[in-house]
Amino acid sequence: MSMIRVEDVHKHFGSLHVLKGITFGGAKGEVVVLVGPSGSGKSTLLRCINLLVWPDAGKVLLDGVQVNAPNIRPEWVRQQIGMVFQSFNLFTHLTALENVTLGLTKVRKMSPGEATARGLELLRRVGLAEKMNTYPAQLSGGQQQRVAIARAIAMNPKAVLFDEPTSALDPEYIKEVLDVMAVLARDGMTMIVVTHEMGFAKNVASRVLFMDGGVILEEGTPVEIFEHPREERTRAFMSKILE
Amino acid sequence: MGGIVLIVLLEEILGFSLLDAGFWSRFGPALQRGFAGTLGYSGAIIPVGFAIGFFGGWARISRHRVLSWPVAAFVDLFRGIPPIVLIIFAFLFGPELLPQRGGGLAIGLNFAAFGLALHTAAYQTEIFRAGFQSVPRGQLEAAQAIGLSRWQTMGIVVLPQTFRLSLPALGNEFATVIKDTSLLGALGAIELFSSGQEFSALAPQTGLFGWVFAVWVVVSAVYFFLTFAVTRGLLAVERKYRVPGMEVSGL
Repeated sequence: MSMIRVEDVHKHFGSLHVLKGITFGGAKGEVVVLVGPSGSGKSTLLRCINLLVWPDAGKVLLDGVQVNAPNIRPEWVRQQIGMVFQSFNLFTHLTALENVTLGLTKVRKMSPGEATARGLELLRRVGLAEKMNTYPAQLSGGQQQRVAIARAIAMNPKAVLFDEPTSALDPEYIKEVLDVMAVLARDGMTMIVVTHEMGFAKNVASRVLFMDGGVILEEGTPVEIFEHPREERTRAFMSKILE
Repeated sequence: MGGIVLIVLLEEILGFSLLDAGFWSRFGPALQRGFAGTLGYSGAIIPVGFAIGFFGGWARISRHRVLSWPVAAFVDLFRGIPPIVLIIFAFLFGPELLPQRGGGLAIGLNFAAFGLALHTAAYQTEIFRAGFQSVPRGQLEAAQAIGLSRWQTMGIVVLPQTFRLSLPALGNEFATVIKDTSLLGALGAIELFSSGQEFSALAPQTGLFGWVFAVWVVVSAVYFFLTFAVTRGLLAVERKYRVPGMEVSGL
């Protein structure tokens, strides 16, 4: 059964039809990579999964439960799905450790001692335990994004969504973030990743979806999509980003 | 320091002494009353303006036009009228709003003080609006993504940053309010400025012309001391809660 499943999801922003009936799933432990030109609806699709954006029609299922339902609180859904953003979005006024433990203390109501222990363990996993008392502004982009990943997995989510996690990084920091993501994938985390990092997709992705114009145009293994795309538009896109 | 040198110099030239016991026995009681008045008005106007300004700033960024639009109109109106004109309106016509008309000077002055509070509230609304808007939107999304409710997001993520970002501008505004309370003296309120005024006006009868200058020196010094204390106090708060990456450039 899919950990994450999206069925015929539609989203309009005013007169703009951004998602035109998206259906796909990610099984437990699977890494699904979404690629496609900007404006194709990838980010909106991710936000529909954790209900930061409410779908106009269709179903979003988490572990078999439909979550875009009137009797379900969106906060409850978001606690179970981590999210990593392009621009990190760490809380400026909190230290690295506080960023990671905020959800534990305020949402899970964990005691401060317990939360700190868990937060430290998470920072150690992303290689930043020694930066626990450092504020975001004093960290490099790569370090900030690793803290953000620690924050996203702090509450043992069922899946983690990545929205172009390396696009805002200077080239020298991209590898450290992708490495952390690869380890997370190896440890069995269900991940849905919007990225144009072909190397990461080839090595880590179970499946790649190509989106354009609000629909999934084709779907396959990394090799199928990157090297032998069937659709003309996929081919055109790939040749552009592989240049 | 330079101020003290200047005062000593003027004392020599104009022939008065701030250490003269006769001066203090004559001016002391009026100064005390004036000081208490200025302190009282500032102590009432600043918190009222702060409260209205805070909620005004919050409403100003609301997605609901019903909230943001009237606040925008309020800000434009009260920023566009000189405070002296505003308090005269409040002083003369405020009491008319009461069911029992009239009520004398005290009621009018309370309305005038409230007018000043609205005036600073308009400025503080803008200060808080800027403070709210300086919190990056992505952080609100991140807060929601970890499962915080709207109110938790406001209390844990937005407000601590809004206040930090607003402090320097608030310090300026509070200093302005303290000085603006002198306008109430022009309407007959008992405060520092009117104490000085009263003493000056009586000089032709008392013959104490030499002390008029001294009186205004003292009045200025007290205003200076009050504003200095408030701005320094806020600076201390700012330093205590300083966070790297959130420094606000000096004004």
